[in-house]
Amino acid sequence: MGFDIKRFQGDVDEELICPICSGVLEDPLQAPACEHAFCRACITEWISRQPTCPVDRQAVTASQLRPVPRILRNLLSRLCTSCDNAPHGCNAVLKLDSLASHLVDCEYNPKRLMPCEAGCGLVIPKDELAEHNCVRELRVLIASQQGKLTDYQQELTEQRLIINEHKRELALLKEFMRAMRVSNPAMRALADQMEREEVVRWASSLARARVTRWGGMISTPDDVLQVMMIKRSLSESGCPSHIIDDLMENCHERRWPPGLSSLETRQNNRRLYEKYVCKRVPGKQAVLVLQCDNTHVDEHMMVEPGLVMIFAHGIE
Amino acid sequence: MANIAAKRIKREFKEVMKSEEVADGTLKLELVNNSWTELKGQIAGPSETPYEGGKFILEIKVPETYPFNPPKIRFLTRIWHPNVSSVTGAICLDILKDQWAAALTLRTVLLSIQALLSAAEPNDPQDAVVAKQYRENIELFHLTAQHWTNVYAGGPNVILDFVQKVQMLTDMGVDENQARVALSTFDWELERATEQLFS
Repeated sequence: MGFDIKRFQGDVDEELICPICSGVLEDPLQAPACEHAFCRACITEWISRQPTCPVDRQAVTASQLRPVPRILRNLLSRLCTSCDNAPHGCNAVLKLDSLASHLVDCEYNPKRLMPCEAGCGLVIPKDELAEHNCVRELRVLIASQQGKLTDYQQELTEQRLIINEHKRELALLKEFMRAMRVSNPAMRALADQMEREEVVRWASSLARARVTRWGGMISTPDDVLQVMMIKRSLSESGCPSHIIDDLMENCHERRWPPGLSSLETRQNNRRLYEKYVCKRVPGKQAVLVLQCDNTHVDEHMMVEPGLVMIFAHGIE
Repeated sequence: MANIAAKRIKREFKEVMKSEEVADGTLKLELVNNSWTELKGQIAGPSETPYEGGKFILEIKVPETYPFNPPKIRFLTRIWHPNVSSVTGAICLDILKDQWAAALTLRTVLLSIQALLSAAEPNDPQDAVVAKQYRENIELFHLTAQHWTNVYAGGPNVILDFVQKVQMLTDMGVDENQARVALSTFDWELERATEQLFS
């Protein structure tokens, strides 16, 4: 439907008027033979009722309608019109072809989105701002998010169930493999690989640690007090069961590699410490130096499957 | 009412008001209500027709789907014409039906109705009785139409013979309009008209 003729400055030529709506042509199309022009919306509506030209009743179908010539479009785009939001106070006078872009950010548009300045932070159409109630709107928001949260929680519970199911299955499979690996060398290789991958996965789940004071290292820790505490922490962090005992053994200098095995060698190799990639033992003043993380370190500084170093202090 | 219909009618109303036909008194148009859905039109009987000198009032109802559908127009003034019902005033005119086109306006429609008064279409009648008289006795048709124009539309030509016959029937207690319809129908033969009225 066309633009109200009263919106335009000065006279509008009769040729630019839609014979159906009597407004100024909007997005015009013309009939093929007689070339009578109409607004797209108007002629589409008319042809849906009667497939003729509304002016001279020549037969016309919707697919025969054509865009109007450039000259007509240019004449239209040069017309000066007031803004749609003139009733709301906009005084802008625009060329018809720049009306659309003006409307997008006309500040008098009653539907323009505005942030609420009362503090709720919501963005609302300008004309709803007066009626806007932060508390009410936020309550609605909370209610909808509560609903979503409930949905997610339910989903989470279901997923947990499924995961537990999988874990059980996995444990069974491992058991099965352990039984198989004794007799079957291929299975042994496979199982070894799986164990290595498990260690890598676990290692990458741990946070990096930084040792600020290597001098705080305890080379002969107390079994009960210190080692048991570390073991529990490692177990909780998901340490694969096949390496945990070895790792615990490796808390003590008697199991450390040649480069670390005595106070003297440690003094000599101190500068190599910085090369270690250390992982945090959660909640403890201790670090893990796993072999899989430290393939770059000299052989005499590393043992399988890794070292545990307990400190008096100085772990970040 | 749909915005487009009101917009069109407002514009067409102005167009009629500015037209030369209104200036020379051939057409008149007025609003019946403020919602632009109903108007009253008036056309002058064309010269050199039996309707000359008469003023005919039309009821114009604008549907909500205007201009995609035609306005509904009928004569409020009684008229003797093959394409207008002598009873209801309904008009048989193609542009008010299947030949309606959205570019037609109140002005062009009123002028078309006026043109219909100059050029009757007895082969596509709205009133079969009138059409039959038109085909079989054109002189009597002219006189009858003149008489109706005189009585109902303020036309200048008094057909004394017809006035007297109507008077005779009304003296017998017959309603004036009924008497006129009966007489017009039976070619102004008093006997047949009376027979029909009292049978």
